[in-house]
Amino acid sequence: MKDSLKNLTDVSLLWLLAIIAVMAVIPPITNSITMREDIFLILQYIALAASLNIILGFTGYVSFGHIVYYGIGGYVAFALMYFYGIHLIPAMIAGGIVCAIIAYLLGEAVLRLRGAYFAIATIGINEAVKALVNNLEFLGGSAGLFFNFKIYQNYGGAGNAIWLAYYLMAILAIVVITSNYLIKKSKFGLGLMSIREDEDAAIVLGIDTKKYKSLAYMLSAFFPGMVGAIFFFKNGNIEPVNAFHLLKSIEMIFMVVLGGFGTVTGPFVGSLLYERIRGLLLVNPLFKDLHMAVAGIILLLLILFVPSGVIGYLRDKVAILRRYVE
Amino acid sequence: MKKILVVLLLLSVLLVGCAQQTVQPSATSTPTTQTTPSATSTPSTSAAEKILIGFSESKTGKFNAESKEQTNGFLLWMENVNAEGGIYVKDLGKKVKVSYTSYDDESSGERVQQIYAKLISEDKADFLISPYSSGLTASAAIIAEQYGKVMVATGAASDSIFNKGYQHVFQLYTPSSRYLTSAVDLLQTKFPDAKKVAIVYENSKFAKSVAQATKSYAEEKGLEVVLYEAYEPGTTDFTSFINKIQAANPDAIIGGGHFADGETFAKQIFEKKVKIKLLSLLVAPAVPEFAEIGDAALYVTGPSQWEPQAKYTKEAAQKMGVEFFGPTVEEFVKEYKAKYGYEPGYHAAGGYAAGLILQKAIEDAGTLDSEKVREALENMKVMTFFGYLEFEKGEYYGRQIGHDMVVIQWQESDGQLKKEVVWPETGASSQVIAYDEKY
Repeated sequence: MKDSLKNLTDVSLLWLLAIIAVMAVIPPITNSITMREDIFLILQYIALAASLNIILGFTGYVSFGHIVYYGIGGYVAFALMYFYGIHLIPAMIAGGIVCAIIAYLLGEAVLRLRGAYFAIATIGINEAVKALVNNLEFLGGSAGLFFNFKIYQNYGGAGNAIWLAYYLMAILAIVVITSNYLIKKSKFGLGLMSIREDEDAAIVLGIDTKKYKSLAYMLSAFFPGMVGAIFFFKNGNIEPVNAFHLLKSIEMIFMVVLGGFGTVTGPFVGSLLYERIRGLLLVNPLFKDLHMAVAGIILLLLILFVPSGVIGYLRDKVAILRRYVE
Repeated sequence: MKKILVVLLLLSVLLVGCAQQTVQPSATSTPTTQTTPSATSTPSTSAAEKILIGFSESKTGKFNAESKEQTNGFLLWMENVNAEGGIYVKDLGKKVKVSYTSYDDESSGERVQQIYAKLISEDKADFLISPYSSGLTASAAIIAEQYGKVMVATGAASDSIFNKGYQHVFQLYTPSSRYLTSAVDLLQTKFPDAKKVAIVYENSKFAKSVAQATKSYAEEKGLEVVLYEAYEPGTTDFTSFINKIQAANPDAIIGGGHFADGETFAKQIFEKKVKIKLLSLLVAPAVPEFAEIGDAALYVTGPSQWEPQAKYTKEAAQKMGVEFFGPTVEEFVKEYKAKYGYEPGYHAAGGYAAGLILQKAIEDAGTLDSEKVREALENMKVMTFFGYLEFEKGEYYGRQIGHDMVVIQWQESDGQLKKEVVWPETGASSQVIAYDEKY
C-alpha cells in the first residue's frame, strides 16, 4: 500500500482527477442549474461504474445485480434521515457500511459461484431484496417513503441541499476513481487480477482468494451504497422500483465494458460515452425507443471485437499512452 | 479471461432481450424536445409574448399509455385556447398564447429532477404540470417548490405528497384516501336502511390504504363494519370470504384490489347469490373488459376519476353556487374523439383539466406571477367538465378536496351492459339500482 500511496502523484491518475474536478466546478462557477443536473448524473455514473469495476474489472466476477447495493444504501440512509433526522453525511456513510456488511455476508455464499452462476445469483439477490422491501410496511412498502420538504431546512434550504448532494457526489466520484487506481497498483490488485486470469492457478500460487474476493466485493458494494444515499436524498423520495432497477445494473456493466474493464480510466470514459450515446439515440426519432437495444448490440460487438474496451484498445495500439493512461 | 467474456457475451444477448420489453410503438407525432445538452428546445421569448408550460411525459417505459393520454388531453386544451387567441392576462391587457416544452422521463425517477430543473432554469417555463404517477410527481415537486413554480399535479393520487410542506403543488385527482368514500356516501344516501358493511380487499399497498380510509370513514358515518379482511394478491377462490360475508349478513360489500381478483370476486358473489344492496370494487368495474362476466357484472359499482357519461353541467354548478369554467363534458368528448379518434378516459380528461385549471388561475390572478397564481389556485372553487375542484389549505396543502370520484354502475339497456355514472348526484347519468334486484 505504501508504494501505491507514493503513486498518488502519478501523472496517469492526476490528469484524470483534474478532468473530473474541472468538470465538477463548472456548474458552481457558471451557476447553471441545468449543467449541475447533467453533471450530477454523469458523476453518479462514474462513481457507479468505477465501483463495479473493482469486482467486475479487476476480479472478473460479473455482478449483474450490483444495483442492489445502490438501493440498500439509499434505503438505509433515507430511513436514517427520515425517521431520526440524521444529517446526510453520517447517513451516507452508514448506508455504505451496511452495504459492505451485507456484501460480506452474501459474498460468503455467492462468491463460491463462478461465471454465469455468480451473475445469475446476483440478479436473484436484487430481485429478492426488492420483493422484501416491497413488503416492509415501515419502509412504506411498494409506495416508498417521501421526505418532508422541511428536511432540507437543516441544510439551508432545498437549493443548498441539492448543491451539497452535488459536491458530495463529485468528491465520491474522485474517491472511487482514486481507490480504483490504488487497488490496481497494489499487491491486493495483483491478487485480484490473478483471480481474474485463472482462479485455480491463483490458489496454487498461495493467494488467499476467498479473502481477496470478499474484500473486493465489499469495496465495490460500499461506494454504490453511498451513491444511492446521495441520489435519493436529492430525489426526495425512494421506492423499490427505482431503488432496485435492474436496467441500471445493465447500464453500469455497459459503461465498464465500453470504457475498458480492469482499467482506471475505462469506467470514466465509459460513463461519458454512454451518456453521450444515450443522449444521441434519445433525440433520434428512429432509435428513441431502441436505445437499450442499440446499447446491447454495441456491447455484443465490443465483446467480440474489442474485448478490452476503448481504453484497453488504445493502450494496446498506442504505446506512449501506456505511460499516461492507466 | 475467456470465461468472463463468455459470460459478458451471454449477458449482452440478454440485454438486447431485456430491451425489447421497454420498446414501445413510437406513434407520437407531437413535436417535443428531448433531454440532452444537444437538444434544441423551443426558444423562449419574453413572458409577455407567450405562456410556456413545462412538463415531463413518459414516452417510454411502463407509464407510456397513461402518460400519452394525459398529454393528448393537454394538447387539445392548448389548441382550443390558442384558437381563441390565448389566455387573457389583465396586467398585460391582452390575450397571450400558450406553448409548451416537454421531455421524456422514461417512466423512471432518475431524470425527473434533471428535466424540471432544465424546464425552469433554461427553458424558463412559466408554469409546470406534473409527470404521470405519484412517485415521479414527488421528485418533481422538490424542484418546483425550490424555485417557487406552480405545478398542477395530474395523474398522481397519493395523499402522502401533500403533507410534506409543499406550497406550490396542486392536485387534480381525488386522493386515494377518498377512493371508496363516495361508495359509502352513495350507500347512505340511496339506501338509508343500510347499516352494515363488509370490507374485503386485496393485501396490496394501494388497496390497503384505500380500505383503511374507507373503514374509518364508514365508522365515522355511523355504519357498522361487520367484516374487515384482506385476501392475498392472486386469490382465485373467494369461497371462504363469501361464507364469512353471508354469516355477517352485510348490506354492502366494498373493497377489491386489481382487475383479475375483482372480476373473480364479483363473479363468485353472483354465483353464491349474496343478498346485498351495493357491491363496490376498486379498478375492475371501471375497465371495459369487466362486461365479459355477463350477468355477474350487472349492478356492480366502482370508483373512477372521471367518465364521459358524467353530467357536470352549468346547471349543476349553479345549484352549488359556483362558476362553471371551460367546455362541457359533451364538447370535450366530441372534440377529443374528433382529434384522436376514440373516446377519452380519465387520464386524458385529467390532462385537459390541468391546462384548464391553470388558465382559470391565470385569468383570476390577472398576471403571470407565480405567487399570485398560487393564491388564485388556493382560493379557487370551480366546476369544470372534470368535476368540482377545490384545494386544501391546511396540513395537506394543495390536496384535492373538491373533486369526487364518480361511481359507475353496470346497467342494462337494450340487452347490452353499459356503464352509467350514478354518483355524485350532481353528475349522475342514471339512478343507482340495488345489487340484489338482479336475482
